[in-house]
Amino acid sequence: MLKVSDLHFGYRFRPILQGVSCEVSAGEILHIVGTNGSGKTTLMSILAGLTKETAGSITLTCDNQEIADRRQKTEYLPAEANGLYGKMDAMDNLRFWQKLRGLSPSNEDIIAALAQWDLDHPLIRSNFPTEKYSTGMKRRLALARVQLSGTPLWLLDEPLYGLDAKGIVQFQSILSQHLDAGGAVAVVSHDTVPLETFRPKVLEIEKRTAS
Amino acid sequence: MKLLFSQTMTIVRHGFKIEWANPERWLSPILFAITMLILFSFSVGTIEGPDTAKLLVAETYLTAFFSLQISFARFLEPDQQDGVFSLLRTYPLSGSAWYLGKYITVMIMGLLILIPTIFLTSFLHAKSGVSLMSIPVITVAVTALSGMAALGVLLSTMTMGSGSKQILYPLLYFPLTAPVLISAVEASKSILVDNVNLQSLMSSWLGLLLIFGVMSFTLGILLFGELVKAE
Repeated sequence: MLKVSDLHFGYRFRPILQGVSCEVSAGEILHIVGTNGSGKTTLMSILAGLTKETAGSITLTCDNQEIADRRQKTEYLPAEANGLYGKMDAMDNLRFWQKLRGLSPSNEDIIAALAQWDLDHPLIRSNFPTEKYSTGMKRRLALARVQLSGTPLWLLDEPLYGLDAKGIVQFQSILSQHLDAGGAVAVVSHDTVPLETFRPKVLEIEKRTAS
Repeated sequence: MKLLFSQTMTIVRHGFKIEWANPERWLSPILFAITMLILFSFSVGTIEGPDTAKLLVAETYLTAFFSLQISFARFLEPDQQDGVFSLLRTYPLSGSAWYLGKYITVMIMGLLILIPTIFLTSFLHAKSGVSLMSIPVITVAVTALSGMAALGVLLSTMTMGSGSKQILYPLLYFPLTAPVLISAVEASKSILVDNVNLQSLMSSWLGLLLIFGVMSFTLGILLFGELVKAE
């Protein structure tokens, strides 16, 4: 599904990624690991299309067809942000992102997705600004956005940040559903235990040089 | 085309929901305009004579310009929170739809500031016998607004990633909009003082305003996608 070949990226006089190559197929998880500052988030940012690589290639194929615009088939969860409009409620936030993808989810669809993350209570999902959510609730809502996107490739940067034990189990369940449906996931996480059950492929990025 | 329309309308609808959820964002420029006009009204008092129209035009555009500036400078603020802007860049969102959506939102917000400003000036100076609430004057003001809004959206996005946005934005915006303001003031003066009609103004000040608006809008449509693509 996703093939990264000999990827390079760096700022002037400071190489970040050097020759990163990896592949993730449908039903697989790619776990990207490395020390702080090794370039994991930079790699995710490149895969998401936010940053342009200096060399190398990224190919995304779905149903044996190469996808010209990767954004159509990729959903990204950044490390330090959730992409939420703080003054809007959960329903409006999710509806907004879905509509930008050209989807028209019904209220029931959105509520069903929120239910999987324990955010479906009427007092929480509507007329309640997400800026009042706890850190874990915001993360769960962002994960609900990823889930609702219907894209085959998920790019998750520290998805477990702020999640409690129940949230981690919910995350594993959603991940499992996605993989069973033929999706693929590239994930950056320092918390390796919750991912071990999926026997992920591991890509280790070392500082300045990559393997 | 259908997706472009749908994305544009999503941005517009969402933009209004955000504005409604943040009343401070639209209340500030409106209250600023009201305060300025009341201050002018008290300091100038009852005005009469041949220069009345000129004074009212200056007062209106000065107030409207600064009110709009307060509104325009902050219109991307909600997108800058919680990584929304970056996330938007990872979505299959057409640059044209994004720009158009923002432009329409800014235009409507601008109209909600501009029209009450014109109305209030006319109301506070009703005794002067000069009213700015006429179709030709409003046409000139809206044409000027359309150009300033197009430029405002473009410049806000251009300077968004810059660390020195607070300096860069006004340095670019004020000199570029000065000709628009001059044209708008001159066109309005011609209508009110010399009774020139809109058709005649098309070959002079109003024509200049239109060209500026079309150029700014075209530049926005063409450049916006480039501004938001991968760095």
